[in-house]
Amino acid sequence: MEKDVRITKFNQEKKKAEFKFIVSGILAFIAIGLFLSSPESEIVLIFVVIAAIGFLVFLIMGSVEYSKIKKNFKNTVLKDLFQTLIPDIQYLPEKGISPTEAYASEFLKTADRFHSEDYISGTIDDVNFVSSDLKLEERHVQHTKNGTRVYYVTYFLGRIFRFDFNKVFTGNLQVLEAGSPYSRRKFSKVKLESIDFNKKFRIFAEEDITAFYILTPDIMEAIFNLEKRNPGRLSMSFLGDHLYVAINNNRDTFELHLFRKLDESVIEEFKQDLLVIKDFIVSLKLNNKLFKKD
Amino acid sequence: MFNITLSDIGTGGIILIVIGALLLIIVIWYISVMNRLRQLELKVHEAESGIDVALTKRFDMLSKMLQTTKGYAKHEAETLENVVKWRSGIPKEATLKDKEEFFNQLNQVAQGINVVVEKYPDLKANTVFLELQSAVANTEEHLQAARRLYNANVTSINTIIVTFPQSIVANMIKMTKKPYFEAEEQKRQDVTFDF
Repeated sequence: MEKDVRITKFNQEKKKAEFKFIVSGILAFIAIGLFLSSPESEIVLIFVVIAAIGFLVFLIMGSVEYSKIKKNFKNTVLKDLFQTLIPDIQYLPEKGISPTEAYASEFLKTADRFHSEDYISGTIDDVNFVSSDLKLEERHVQHTKNGTRVYYVTYFLGRIFRFDFNKVFTGNLQVLEAGSPYSRRKFSKVKLESIDFNKKFRIFAEEDITAFYILTPDIMEAIFNLEKRNPGRLSMSFLGDHLYVAINNNRDTFELHLFRKLDESVIEEFKQDLLVIKDFIVSLKLNNKLFKKD
Repeated sequence: MFNITLSDIGTGGIILIVIGALLLIIVIWYISVMNRLRQLELKVHEAESGIDVALTKRFDMLSKMLQTTKGYAKHEAETLENVVKWRSGIPKEATLKDKEEFFNQLNQVAQGINVVVEKYPDLKANTVFLELQSAVANTEEHLQAARRLYNANVTSINTIIVTFPQSIVANMIKMTKKPYFEAEEQKRQDVTFDF
């Protein structure tokens, strides 16, 4: 009941912010329309300036209000929702995974701009995990007649996870849907028995036996199914005590969307996005204690 | 001063150069296929050594398990001990077929221990036994990995050996198809123990 009241309140606040965006849009439309109709008239120009200022004011007000709503929503509704789904979970919407932690996966190219948020950590079935949204951008420079233009291209937008891994093995193993490892290690490309798996993924291992030890037929099937359930480019790195997983799906998870009503279907999407963590732990049998060192 | 034109070489010369170039290409190709086959053969041998290591590990773990079982079910443990052909591990002269047999015997022992455990609940509560059980399961995983790696390498080398024109090189260096490590069928059979 209390949750419903809160969601209704968020919807009302959201509508107010969205209204400001609509007004700013109309003002922009008016300003452009007036300017194009009679660009030389001074009176019209005054109205154009007034409409443009109005556009900016409403745009800024809407943006500030909307980011406040998003922040509040994450810190109240999502935090509570996550707590009920995974007890003792820690959700820090403004914090992200550190670059050191992210690059430790050894499958991500070092970015010129690194942005991360929605940091989630906790334990499921005694398996520690970390999850975070990640955006990586590369700097590009274009030389034109008028000078130099610098722009950034996003090459990774999605999620990164780190799980405790339950098998003891040597070297690094990477299972990548695309690309190559960003590592100084000496890898060899491994072909497994499954033709379908070899077609879908590229397997790089420091030692061939590690690939066969970790990627058992069951696990290969599980990875295949996980990839189907999580569209995007999947990358996995088995290194030491950890398994790093990244999904480059061009999605910013746990975000409210403008002009989309906050209802049960949206809440369900957030739930599913969180439970992806559990899906990985269970499907890859990371909770199997049989192979644990201790 | 030393400018040589095609007309200076003549038709015969050109034919000789072409034949020479073709021969050189064939020799380079022959060497590269031969090297590839030798490298793969080495990988097959390495993988077979991996199977030996994993089998030995599994044998050691199961032996330890049998020793622990003796404290609870002496007769059953001794019966299981007799299932294994080599009491002191894998002999150096053992063939792949012998290893397959040994692999199956070890699986029989592992299944037999599971039968004994069901009969003696006290054994289930023994922490040393439980730790060994976990270690044995791990050795099984290592053994399966070694077996799969070996078979993957065998597939790679056999594919080259039977594919024309690489098969010519394989024949010339007297390399024949390698056998697979097949043990699955027997492993899946239910084993009954008459203790």
